[in-house]
Amino acid sequence: MIEFKHVDKVYPNGTKGLSDINLTIDQGEFVAIIGLSGAGKSTLIRTINRMIDVTGGQLTVDGTDVMSLSGKAMRRYRRKIGMIFQSYNLVTRATAIKNVLSSMVPDMPFWKVLLGAFSAEQKLKALEALDKVGILDKAYIRCDQLSGGQQQRVSLARTLNQDPTIILADEPVAALDPVTAHQVMADFKRINQEMNITVLINIHHVDLALAYCTRVIGIRAGKIVYDGPTETVTQEILDEIYGGATVPTAGT
Amino acid sequence: MSENKRKDAAGKSLAARLTGVILMAAIGIFCALASQGVTPFSIVLAALTVCAALHALRTRTMKLQNGKSIVQPGNSSLLIGMLMADIVVASAVLTGFDFSILVRRGHQFFVILEQIFQPDFNYFPKVVDPLLDTIKMSILGSVIGATLALPVSVIASTNINRSGVVVWAQRIVLMVIRTLPTLVIAKFAALIFGLGTFAGTMAIIVFTFGVVSKMMYESIETIDMGAFEAMESFGASKFQSFWSACMPQILPTYLSYCLYALEMNIRAAAILGYVGAGGLGLLMDERIGWRDYRGLGMVLLALFVVVLIIEQTSQYLRKKLS
Ligand SMILES: Nc1ncnc2c1ncn2[C@@H]1O[C@H](COP(=O)(O)OP(=O)(O)O)[C@@H](O)[C@H]1O
Ligand SMILES: [Mg+2]
Repeated sequence: MIEFKHVDKVYPNGTKGLSDINLTIDQGEFVAIIGLSGAGKSTLIRTINRMIDVTGGQLTVDGTDVMSLSGKAMRRYRRKIGMIFQSYNLVTRATAIKNVLSSMVPDMPFWKVLLGAFSAEQKLKALEALDKVGILDKAYIRCDQLSGGQQQRVSLARTLNQDPTIILADEPVAALDPVTAHQVMADFKRINQEMNITVLINIHHVDLALAYCTRVIGIRAGKIVYDGPTETVTQEILDEIYGGATVPTAGT
Repeated sequence: MSENKRKDAAGKSLAARLTGVILMAAIGIFCALASQGVTPFSIVLAALTVCAALHALRTRTMKLQNGKSIVQPGNSSLLIGMLMADIVVASAVLTGFDFSILVRRGHQFFVILEQIFQPDFNYFPKVVDPLLDTIKMSILGSVIGATLALPVSVIASTNINRSGVVVWAQRIVLMVIRTLPTLVIAKFAALIFGLGTFAGTMAIIVFTFGVVSKMMYESIETIDMGAFEAMESFGASKFQSFWSACMPQILPTYLSYCLYALEMNIRAAAILGYVGAGGLGLLMDERIGWRDYRGLGMVLLALFVVVLIIEQTSQYLRKKLS
């Protein structure tokens, strides 16, 4: 369970990233966070794995006070939170399986990391993760030779390979074409349902959010302006989230 | 005048052009007159510079058939050429470069050159050991120096190391190391560790370390940090993240720098003997002292062959890496 209590984030330069966020997200939810660019979506999800420190209020995940963590404890905490990025953030010179294996590195002894020595067992597990996202056949291909959708799947497999309980995805489909975007969203939905992993997705395209997620959180200028089930999202609510601007969609 | 140049020049305002031309002309005239006083030669130089400046300011109106016209700006390449000539003359005069010496003694050069090109092959057995020393010094020095450079360059990269103080302290140390000429380092090493190849190896280690560290941290700063960020997000330490996410990106560059350093070092190692650091330099100094230019020719021939082999191999490998 993820719990935000009166959470604030003020950046060192004075920008207010988040103000007075109150949220409770249960294990296994599939949440879309929508809002204009600059609304604070990335800030919100990055506080959960402490890529960003909150400056006020309290954030607890499964009973752990996130801001109290540091060093080893924080790294151990991060092991169970997967993160997916808009630009995939893969080692493009390395093969798909190498990238998937990299999420096991934090649990390996120093010398094995140094030599890049992965056991047969680890390799099998990585291959299974690739199979789960449907790109087993690309395992030994360098990532710079894969399409955007395939690269995003490699990064999804990398995350699955760390056995997370939560997956944070920061605009995972923003760089993909509409058809591929739908496929990747379907992957997320399947992972959410089959493995009971909590999934939080920052997403720019409202139609995708409404089609796949069960809960929508709308933020505007660092504040939550809507939080509720997907079914009750109306045009008025979207207008409020987007401040009257045209609501962006992926199409198809 | 090329299409490109005209666009560049046309983009500048008249005032900016005028200032540029006057500045260049002034520097040129100053160089010509200040270095040698008012002599016929300096007056000619100054006059030519003035002419070039006027030429640079002369614009022409180009008329098209349909009546439209455009102003073609002046061309300053002549002025730039004159400026260079003024500077060369000034520096030649100020350093006391005397052409007459070149004329009087220049033929000596060809006498020596002729002997060098007739290497004394009987001398070869004496060359072998110092040659091997030179090769050993440069290979060992390059390997150790480049190995030490890797962790240090990581510490000196702003994108990996967030502590500004540490980064800059590290960079200043590297800068100081790079400032020391290899010969000076070798001299010190010879004083501390005694004459011989150990001193030479030390000098090469220090030199390689300084250069490779600098080239590496500059490359590390240009790599894509996405994968590093991802690794940190799932709980990897900084070292683990660097090793798994950044190493694959910088490894080819690193190896290529190592090979490049080796190429430079084989030549540097050859001269270190001059300050008592062993290797071929010692031999060269000795042969020149004895005026044995044919022996010197043999030494140089051996060095040439080795440099050629190492450079070719290294270039081949570097091509493979990129
Ligand atoms: N490192 C930072 N320093 C200062 N301000 C930042 C930083 N990162 C984000 N911001 C600001 O915080 C606000 C929210 O940004 P962000 O969370 O990235 O928005 P979104 O992901 O919704 O586009 C924006 O106004 C942005 O300019
Ligand atoms: Mg964002």
